[in-house]
Parts: sequence; structure tokens; C-alpha cells
Amino acid sequence: MDPSLNSAELQRFLSQEKEKAMVNEMVTNLTSVCWDKCITSTPGNKFSSSESACLSHCAQRYMDVTLIIMKRVQSMQ
Amino acid sequence: MDSFSSGSTGAGSPQISTDELMDQMKVQFAQAYAQEFLETVRGKCFDKCITKPGSSLSGSESSCISRCVDRYIEATGIVGKALFSASR
Repeated sequence: MDPSLNSAELQRFLSQEKEKAMVNEMVTNLTSVCWDKCITSTPGNKFSSSESACLSHCAQRYMDVTLIIMKRVQSMQ
Repeated sequence: MDSFSSGSTGAGSPQISTDELMDQMKVQFAQAYAQEFLETVRGKCFDKCITKPGSSLSGSESSCISRCVDRYIEATGIVGKALFSASR
């Protein structure tokens, strides 16, 4: 039992949790954005195939856009 | 995290093990994520299902909310999957 609060184990745990938090944030934001874009009518008992395709495409295109923006900004520096 | 670094603690002050600390933090993180999700879903589904707030929730409004929660959870799964299995 290691009582040290500066232990390497704790640091590793914290950086893992930080990464999990960032991933969670990305999924949360993206779901919110794509829900607004793709689910325009009252929610039913299941998604139509166009709704689920839209959600999936939305996420992927959002990542494409992120990449383009990053490259563009980098090329300006 | 400065409040945690007490250096050598005096006799009588309880020390928490790293494992206990990590467990407690995991619980708190999980609660925070759940709370955030709840608030997000509430906002989205209120917008979609309660178009004209009445003096009580109608049956159709209640079932809309239920379906909406299910769909939002499903949407989260679809988006998550699209993000992490996209082959480039």
C-alpha cells in the first residue's frame, strides 16, 4: 500500500482519466451537434436508416473538418 | 491538487492509500459524467417533446421523452463508434 500522493501510479491514473475525460467530452459534444443536425422530427421507436447514416456520417465529417482546420492553421504559422 | 500534498503528515492525521484515492476519484468521475449526460439528454428531449408546456405532462409527451432518451443513448453509441472505427 503506497501512501505517497505523488506516486507514479497515481500520475499514470490521472493522465489516463484526463484522456478519458477528453474523449468523453468529444463524444458528448459531437453527439449533441449531430443530434441537432440529423434528428429533425419527433423521436420514434427506432432510427430510420437515413437518420442513423446521418449520425455516423456527421461524426466522420466533423473529424475531417477538424483535420482540415488544423492543417490550415498550421500552414499559416 | 495542492491541498493533497501535505508532505510528512503529523501523527494522528489519517492517510489515504493511493488505491483508495483512485477508487474515490473513479466514483466521482463516473458521477460527474452521469450528471452531465442527464442534463444533456434532458435539454434535448425537452426541446423535442414538450412543444407547448401545459398544466401537466400528457401521455404522448411522456412516451416521447422515453423514446427520446433511448434514441439519444443510441445516437451516442453511433457517434462513438463512427469516431473510433473510422478507417483512414
